[in-house]
Amino acid sequence: MTELTEEQVRSELELVLERRSADTRLTTMGAGSDDLEDGRQYLAGTVDGGWHVPTWPHEHGGRGASPSQNALIGRLLREFIVPDLYPFAIGLGMVGPALLAHGTQKQQDDWLRPIASGSSIWCQMFSEPEAGSDLANVALKADRDGDEWVLSGQKTWTSRAMWADWAICLARTDPGQPKHKGLTMFALPIDTPGVDVRPLTQMNRDAHFSEVFVENARALDAWRIGDIGEGWRVAMTVLAHERAGGGSRGGGDGNARGIRVPGWISDLRDLGVAEDRLWQNEVVKIYSHDGVSRWTSQRAADEARASGAPGPAGSGAKLRSVKSYKDRAYLSNRSAGCYGMLSDGHGYIETMTAPSMSIRGGTDEIQRNILGERVLGLPGEPRLDRDVPWNESRRGLL
Amino acid sequence: MTELAEVDPLVTETADRLFTQVCDHEAVQTAEAVGTAPEIWSAFAETGFPWISIDETCGGSGGTLLDALEVLRLVGYHAAPIPAAETGILGGWLLADAGHEIPEGPVTVLPNGATDVKGSLSGQEVTLTGTCIRVPWARMAERIAVLLEIDGQNMVASVDPNDCVIHTMTNMAGEPRDTVCFDNVKAPASSASEANPETFRFRGALSRSALMAGAIEKMSQLTVTYTNDRVQFGRPVARFQAVQQHLVWGAQEAALARMAAETAAREANRGLASFEIAAAKLITNQAAARATKACHQAHGAMGMTQEYPLHHYSRRLWAWRKEYGGDAEWSRWLGKAAVAQGAEGLYPLITGGSSVLS
Ligand SMILES: Cc1cc2nc3c(=O)[nH]c(=O)nc-3n(C[C@H](O)[C@H](O)[C@H](O)COP(=O)(O)OP(=O)(O)OC[C@H]3O[C@@H](n4cnc5c(N)ncnc54)[C@H](O)[C@@H]3O)c2cc1C
Repeated sequence: MTELTEEQVRSELELVLERRSADTRLTTMGAGSDDLEDGRQYLAGTVDGGWHVPTWPHEHGGRGASPSQNALIGRLLREFIVPDLYPFAIGLGMVGPALLAHGTQKQQDDWLRPIASGSSIWCQMFSEPEAGSDLANVALKADRDGDEWVLSGQKTWTSRAMWADWAICLARTDPGQPKHKGLTMFALPIDTPGVDVRPLTQMNRDAHFSEVFVENARALDAWRIGDIGEGWRVAMTVLAHERAGGGSRGGGDGNARGIRVPGWISDLRDLGVAEDRLWQNEVVKIYSHDGVSRWTSQRAADEARASGAPGPAGSGAKLRSVKSYKDRAYLSNRSAGCYGMLSDGHGYIETMTAPSMSIRGGTDEIQRNILGERVLGLPGEPRLDRDVPWNESRRGLL
Repeated sequence: MTELAEVDPLVTETADRLFTQVCDHEAVQTAEAVGTAPEIWSAFAETGFPWISIDETCGGSGGTLLDALEVLRLVGYHAAPIPAAETGILGGWLLADAGHEIPEGPVTVLPNGATDVKGSLSGQEVTLTGTCIRVPWARMAERIAVLLEIDGQNMVASVDPNDCVIHTMTNMAGEPRDTVCFDNVKAPASSASEANPETFRFRGALSRSALMAGAIEKMSQLTVTYTNDRVQFGRPVARFQAVQQHLVWGAQEAALARMAAETAAREANRGLASFEIAAAKLITNQAAARATKACHQAHGAMGMTQEYPLHHYSRRLWAWRKEYGGDAEWSRWLGKAAVAQGAEGLYPLITGGSSVLS
């Protein structure tokens, strides 16, 4: 496809999207927004032009864009209203790229376009009660039965499960192998008999993550993503895209052209605290960090798209954007003074959500371990269970 | 100078036992859903704890302010969903100070800075108009103790909440913080003796420091226990140094907050304590911010769910941090006090505290 100029992209986008203004505020990922419709409409409206996932092939809802073209489109999208795509983020940002890397032609044909057009929502069934940071400790088992697999076990913290049509599910197919080796990835329709979704309420009162109980649920072998025993590799692709923020396009509060003062700062001004010099200091510190953090994320995302495989830069990007989010949330809430303590106070939902930001998608500690080992080449964590069969190591070797 | 009093160990022991029995995770969770916790309140009231430090002749339970604050520390430690500070050292104190009768049920107060309620006096009766937001547990109070200035005179009115319109509202922790509307509400009023907006503000801050010190300590202990039980990569996560750092932060903040709150309590118990109270509220506020971050991080996703009790403490800390003075307010107060002493006075202020300010 020929490269479009900035003006060409902008006028194409103007045909399908509405421009944003300084008053446009973004909702918080996974809190405070239950709105599926806005996202659906946005994706349905942009899929023909391939604007939301430009690097995907045209037939799958992209436009086969080059990395530079993709970066340009990403930048210009920020001038338009892009709704909170939280419900769609797993499909767009993680499953899609993983299918492009590891999926069969048929899987790509069947699943990618519905993801890009917003007609199917995916969730991520990775974490289990005993497998959080130690994701390779997954115990949900999948036993082969002819052309099918029989899945049993329990997942937890599964965000979006109650909206989802499909789940990407990491399962243990060979307990006799060391823990990273006996895993296989499946796609599973969430309404498969034997799959039971039970929402958990978070402290921000949001009930967007769930426990998922799986009992003798049958999956077709055609739904297996990647080879048997290659589940860990697929999971790493998914997680690397998650960190690199591959799913989130547009947005960036107040990051649009011609909008110099981000919304959260105007809000502080409206609260009347902006006169205070100490506040100004804090605001500027966060604002500058925000800028660096956005560029880091952008760089990680661009690198990921260029190489097709996100690297450890994504961990740095995640650490930074999480810090930005938390600092902003806490400052906003504190700025409201005593009114900030009410459950309808300024920054309430962000403050209640903030602690989860450095946990979901891999904790800060895990991101730092990744950076330490893979970027700085520091000695690795002791991994005593590396070569021991999982059915011996799962209960702990120490 | 009078000797510094000590907390009566029997108070600590009895209050701790009581809350351990009646305030488990389920009970606190239910109180939030229902909006009040009448059973917890009755059990608490039966012991006479709500009225410690209020003179027996006024209908209180007697005892020292120090003991009353120890009870509040334990209220914070157990996240007890009851108006303990409001009934006792805030509302009870106001009523007793102006010679009003102390009711049998809970009392609440209009917090500083949240009220535009005005009164006009005729004889022994005041007529009140205006609105106050963030009133703790107004929905279950038997009396609202209203401190107001009329013609340069500090008065306390004892208002029957049934005469007011109450809109229920909650703080971040789901504790009642109601909006109370006074539309020509008549209530008996009399002159205050010690109570004025300043002494009330400091008492408020003192009450919140005690509550917060308790909550931080509990949060720190929960985190140590959880991370020792939680196994990842074949070992308890508490064995990872990165996690240990969070545990140390939590424990440090707990010790710091408790020390500051107890110092302020001891000084307040024997007289002037504005410097210690200001410092205690600022220190507990800041400790709360650091400790909630560390404890949540060490818990992982488990700490984010309502099913696990961490949020009872972290959310209360975020809310209490903003009551009776946030960081900026007390930092300014302390800064002004220090500057007023001049360079020579700084060290004596730090070592001598409020006694230097008098
Ligand atoms: C809001 C939210 C949404 C989520 N959505 C999903 C979802 O959709 N799908 C899904 O599969 N999962 C989801 N998760 C789960 C998330 O991936 C896990 O919470 C995360 O991986 C951490 O695991 P854990 O909570 O079990 O914490 P733990 O692993 O128990 O960690 C506890 C503490 O120990 C530390 N720790 C653990 N190991 C090490 C180590 N080796 N070195 C140093 N420190 C260590 C951690 O950093 C943390 O501080 C979600 C979580 C949250 C909070």
